[in-house]
Amino acid sequence: MSDYMSEESDGEYYYDDDEVMGSDRAEDEDTEESEGEEADYGSMEMSVTALSKPKKKVYEVDYECLATSDIDKSMAKEAELLCSMLGVDISTSYQLLRFMNWNKEKLIDKFMEDPDAVKEKAGIADTPPKFTLPSVAPPPAPAPAPVASSSSSNSRRTTRSSNKTAAPPPPVVDEGWSCPICCCEPEPPTGVMALECNHAFCTDCWQTYLTGKIREEGEHSIRCMESGCNDLVSDTVILGTVPDAPKEGSVVLDDETKDKFKELLVRFFVQCNSALRFCPAPGCDYTVQCAAASTKSSLETTVPTVRCTNGHSFCFGCGEEGDHRPLICTIAKLWLKKCQDDSETANWIKTNTKECPKCHSTIEKNGGCNHMTCKKCKNEFCWVCMGPWSEHGNAWYSCNRYEEKEGVDARDAQSKSRASLERYLHYYNRWANHEQSARLSLDLYAKTEKKMQEMQETSELTWIQVQFAKKAVDEVIKCRMTLKWTYAMGYYLEKSNQKELFEDNQRDLEKAVEALSELLERPIEPETVASLRQQITDKTVYVLKRNEVMLEDTANGFLEGRWAWNTSISPFIE
Amino acid sequence: MSSRATALRRLMTEYKQLTANGAPDNMFTAGPISEDNFFEWEALIMGPKDTPYEGGVFAAKLTFPSDYPLSPFKMKFDPPLFHPNIYKDGNVCISILHAPGDDPTGYELSSERWSPVQSVEKVLLSVVSMLAEPNLESGANIDCCKVYRENRPEFERIVRQQIRDMLGV
Repeated sequence: MSDYMSEESDGEYYYDDDEVMGSDRAEDEDTEESEGEEADYGSMEMSVTALSKPKKKVYEVDYECLATSDIDKSMAKEAELLCSMLGVDISTSYQLLRFMNWNKEKLIDKFMEDPDAVKEKAGIADTPPKFTLPSVAPPPAPAPAPVASSSSSNSRRTTRSSNKTAAPPPPVVDEGWSCPICCCEPEPPTGVMALECNHAFCTDCWQTYLTGKIREEGEHSIRCMESGCNDLVSDTVILGTVPDAPKEGSVVLDDETKDKFKELLVRFFVQCNSALRFCPAPGCDYTVQCAAASTKSSLETTVPTVRCTNGHSFCFGCGEEGDHRPLICTIAKLWLKKCQDDSETANWIKTNTKECPKCHSTIEKNGGCNHMTCKKCKNEFCWVCMGPWSEHGNAWYSCNRYEEKEGVDARDAQSKSRASLERYLHYYNRWANHEQSARLSLDLYAKTEKKMQEMQETSELTWIQVQFAKKAVDEVIKCRMTLKWTYAMGYYLEKSNQKELFEDNQRDLEKAVEALSELLERPIEPETVASLRQQITDKTVYVLKRNEVMLEDTANGFLEGRWAWNTSISPFIE
Repeated sequence: MSSRATALRRLMTEYKQLTANGAPDNMFTAGPISEDNFFEWEALIMGPKDTPYEGGVFAAKLTFPSDYPLSPFKMKFDPPLFHPNIYKDGNVCISILHAPGDDPTGYELSSERWSPVQSVEKVLLSVVSMLAEPNLESGANIDCCKVYRENRPEFERIVRQQIRDMLGV
């Protein structure tokens, strides 16, 4: 956000600067606009008024960037709230919330109705164990339990019911017990662990199981190993934070696995909360909170482009990296899919080729007469009627008559298919061109850096005075991004007056961007550098304004429902 | 401790239990083909009553991985059996033998799949009930599924014929 603010204030600065500086700028702009439509002036004025307001623009959204620790805090806050409300301990509270996909209201509702049923479904047992293993010894009534077993049971009890003061539960295992999985015979209590359900396994097996579940399957709610047993392994067992736990009889997972588990918890929380989204940039662990774009319907009218603290910008709505303004998520996705599909390749093949009637090889005719000989199967046929050529050399020749009716139909069908292909290619080429230019932005920055150096050496301009060039490159790249997506939008817009206005805006922006790009390519000469600087500065401001106009007008169009699409977008809005 | 040693200990225990207790209703027997190699077992399964498989005795080979019981074993009927959930090469497709995380069919619950607390005995019991009630939702032998669904008498005839061929009568 701070980035944005500084950029904007820069813009304002330039703007004010321009007002003071020179009338030649105004002249320049006039010639630019001379072919423009009146509507453009109208929207320009609008943008001027919008610019003078420090408030957020119509195409921007409010959002906040959160670190993992912030997420941890909000998770803890919710869990603690539930703790006091439902009268459960904190670990149980976390597990109940996860079970209900962090839907607090639903959890409270259900819990008030029937706490035991919810707990049982969630796999949180605080009832006496119902199952007994064949090897589990019956609780020796008054007799002193073997020291080993009692301390083992103590260790597992503390996992969840630390508030329980009831008599010590029956021992988990008997002497001579062996783990049902690996058949080892560990020394109780150090080697044995069981949850509330009393399904005992050796700690080695538990460790392998938990590590696998966390690292390979990415599960955040892990059940008891016994098949069919619903009991959850509590977080405290996994994280090894059992309050005043004796070291024996408990599982010790390595730190990497514990970190992964914590990450899974955070990921799940973010996933459940529609107002949160992870930064999609690899290795970035910031989360963006954006309440304005948390519903599906809001995405039909807004493009919530956000930027995390690390500076990665992405769309909050669809998670697409970069910025696909002004086009809304559903249509942007549609376009990307269309470009990725090779359906257009098929379209080309359909338009430009025919198949050999015999072996069905695809043939493109690039000249010569209509007597075709298939290279593969040596079949000879007529390109026009697709019939065998042998009939063309004798008295039954009928290719001309055949063409009269069928040929006209075929030509019609072909030109239609060609027109839709050409339309797509028109938009695609322009889209791809801007994308390519944006991709070369790193080169452009390097080149500009050099130029700025050169300017400082050959003229009297100071470092601060040559920053205009970098600013101009920033703006060009930003605008190319906008332009790129306007072409995708143009492809899907129904032909109408609104679309013409849209295209006018697009043209003005593109023309200005190209002009600015060209200025940036100009060689630096000591005598003209001052005027070049002037021109570039002016153009940058103009481009910035045109970009605002473009974005604002399209955003308003979405809000007003002004855009008509030539494709049905409803099935894509879930 | 090496996983192979664990696997061996576990297999020996399972073998001991199976021989000591026997299978319920003597529906099957299982054990290593040779005492030298505990990782290759042979199982003999009786065709369940009131099914077309009744009267047949089917041999299957069980192959255990070295990290058993973390990973499930493989089961292959030899000769192959005509059944919707048995591939034409005899391999058995049953959810309890699929490791969690690897789901060839896409709709099995994690809880129905292999876990280290399963055992040869439990799997063979599942296979017996699979013989009685094929699961058409995840067919392994598509042709067989088709016959089973569309022409049950024909399916039963093929199965009976196969059993007769196997027994050589």
